[in-house]
Amino acid sequence: MLLVAAAGRLWRRRRRPGSRPPASRASKDRRNPFGETGLVAGREIRERLRGRVFRVVTALLFLAIAAIIVIPTLRTASAPRATVGVVDGSPALDDGLRALAHRVGLTVRLVVEPGLAEARTALRAGTLDVVVDATRAVLVDQALSATDTSARATFVREASLGLGAQGAYARAGLTSSQVAIIAGAKPLAIVSLQPAKKPATSSETTALLGVILNFIVLTQYLTWTLMGVMEEKASRVVEVLLATVRPLQLLAGKVLGIGLVAMAQAAALVAFALILGQAAGSSFVHGTAPLVAAATLVWLVLGYAFYSWVYAAAGSLGERQDQVQSMALPLSLPLILGYIVSLVGVSSGSPSTLVKVLAYLPPTAPFAMPALVGFGLVAWWQFVLSVLASLASTVVVAVYAARIYRRAVLRTGGRVRLSQLRRVPSATR
Amino acid sequence: MVGFLGPNGAGKTTTMRAIFGLTDLDGGSVRWNGRPIGSAERRRFGYMPEERGLYPSMLIAEELTYLGRLHGMSASDAAAATARWLERLAVADRAGDKVESLSHGNQQRVQLAAALVHDPEVLILDEPLAGLDPTGIDVIGQVLVEEARSGRCVLFSSHQLDQVEDLCESVTIIDRGRLVASGTVDDLTTAGAQRLAVRVEGDRDGRWAAGLSGVSVSQITGGEVRLVLGTAPSDAVLDAARAAGRVTKFDFERRRLSEVFRESVGA
Repeated sequence: MLLVAAAGRLWRRRRRPGSRPPASRASKDRRNPFGETGLVAGREIRERLRGRVFRVVTALLFLAIAAIIVIPTLRTASAPRATVGVVDGSPALDDGLRALAHRVGLTVRLVVEPGLAEARTALRAGTLDVVVDATRAVLVDQALSATDTSARATFVREASLGLGAQGAYARAGLTSSQVAIIAGAKPLAIVSLQPAKKPATSSETTALLGVILNFIVLTQYLTWTLMGVMEEKASRVVEVLLATVRPLQLLAGKVLGIGLVAMAQAAALVAFALILGQAAGSSFVHGTAPLVAAATLVWLVLGYAFYSWVYAAAGSLGERQDQVQSMALPLSLPLILGYIVSLVGVSSGSPSTLVKVLAYLPPTAPFAMPALVGFGLVAWWQFVLSVLASLASTVVVAVYAARIYRRAVLRTGGRVRLSQLRRVPSATR
Repeated sequence: MVGFLGPNGAGKTTTMRAIFGLTDLDGGSVRWNGRPIGSAERRRFGYMPEERGLYPSMLIAEELTYLGRLHGMSASDAAAATARWLERLAVADRAGDKVESLSHGNQQRVQLAAALVHDPEVLILDEPLAGLDPTGIDVIGQVLVEEARSGRCVLFSSHQLDQVEDLCESVTIIDRGRLVASGTVDDLTTAGAQRLAVRVEGDRDGRWAAGLSGVSVSQITGGEVRLVLGTAPSDAVLDAARAAGRVTKFDFERRRLSEVFRESVGA
């Protein structure tokens, strides 16, 4: 709201004197306290909320967030289990397998199998997860991948190693006391020169989700802004509207209305995530995660405020809906750059210097700054500095975008080039 | 009610857009009641652009109410005016439909309602009758006449000169951006040289008039020859007609508006 008001004031100051007589009550009617801008914003809000696309996308986002929060808690709540068939076993082997399973965090149920053929059949049928043939092999239905670090895969690998070693000891003719000494061997200590990389904290995970949320919401609503302006131009309704409202009022109302819907949707998603996370006992809501969520919303607002003017101006240059894609692509490049670099930085667990630089550039800060906040890599004054830089650049962008919009939105007959607008006098309303 | 006439490219649409500040002026100013027009005045004007403009996917009643509110009406007043105008333009049963679902003629009616919903002081309509069937022309024409009689200033452009002649009290004709004729329909049609309408039985092509001197043939339609008297007296014309056959019509007539138009723009 403040940004819109500031941009409007700056714009009015820059208008040529005498280009338009002073309006009496033009911008605020007694029966309409929010003025024409408020009316335009209200229409945008009503139309967007009514749209099927909005409802479907919102429902999908809620479902995705619910899945992201709830599924990990389900996985941690239920320990991994396996049913292990044993061929030619012995009480000592059973004890050894149970001890191994306990060590790797696997709950096992041992089933004595009469022979290897029956065990294979049960394995293929899925009633057994693993078969241990005491002297020959450890069988699984599907080969284990090298990257599989699950408890079951660890159990299989260690059982294979252990039973193989047992056979080797026997063939070497070791006594039971010698075997016991070997079995009880303790590994040498592993000494690291640097501390281990810490696992992702809840705030880092929240930052990751925040970067993704900002990208999805910004992409969706900025495209709506572009298409909305283009639709008004293509349907010629803009001529009817501009016969009674100023171009900046129309532009600001559209930006504000769509922006409010975007913020409401994002705030609802974040609130839903925090409440659901609390209820499900998710780690996402612990520690500084709510603070990171708040920072994400702040940068969503700033990102939308910065880009919405640009997209609206671009929409005024187009004439047909099929031009949306070609016009949106170059505008989205800084968005995509900021998103990918920030996403990679967050995913790697250590944001790069590039992320730290992008956090101060208004086009990329909506992604890079929440990432840095999640990792605790910014001081409050750095955050404020980036916010101020974004606000200042938004005012400049808004003024120029409004100028382009005002000159282009009534020009019909094909896509308008920026070079054409330089020749247009700026005295029009 | 004023008809705003001119050939294609004369500047009618540009003039109307300039009234609403939608195009730049190379020079001059737009005035109403002797004062330059500002946004306050424009809010009391109603506008129907040549290329119709409404949100295609918006509900008709909501769209009209929204436009009324943009002109400063309260929500309840705008809703009441919307219902009234939809009723008067015979599209009330479509109030809950989307604009894009209407036929061309009904969209035109809704567009007119959009120009009228805020009870404007001045109504400026760019080709309001274009593309309408006779029923649509009658409905919209009747509304325009009633609005003009109620004291509203109505200015509309059209290429349908017969309709303009029937509907308007005054016309203004421009050509290549310049005013070439203006006045009441009566003044314009009675001014200038006398007109004769002559019909000679059996001569559908008006061949009898081909060699007449001191007159010019304005139009030949279905055997009726319209002549503009110059130096020749009407008696000489009557004699020439009688010499060609039995004269079934010989009337002094006013200029038609189409003739005024053609003579004004040199067509």
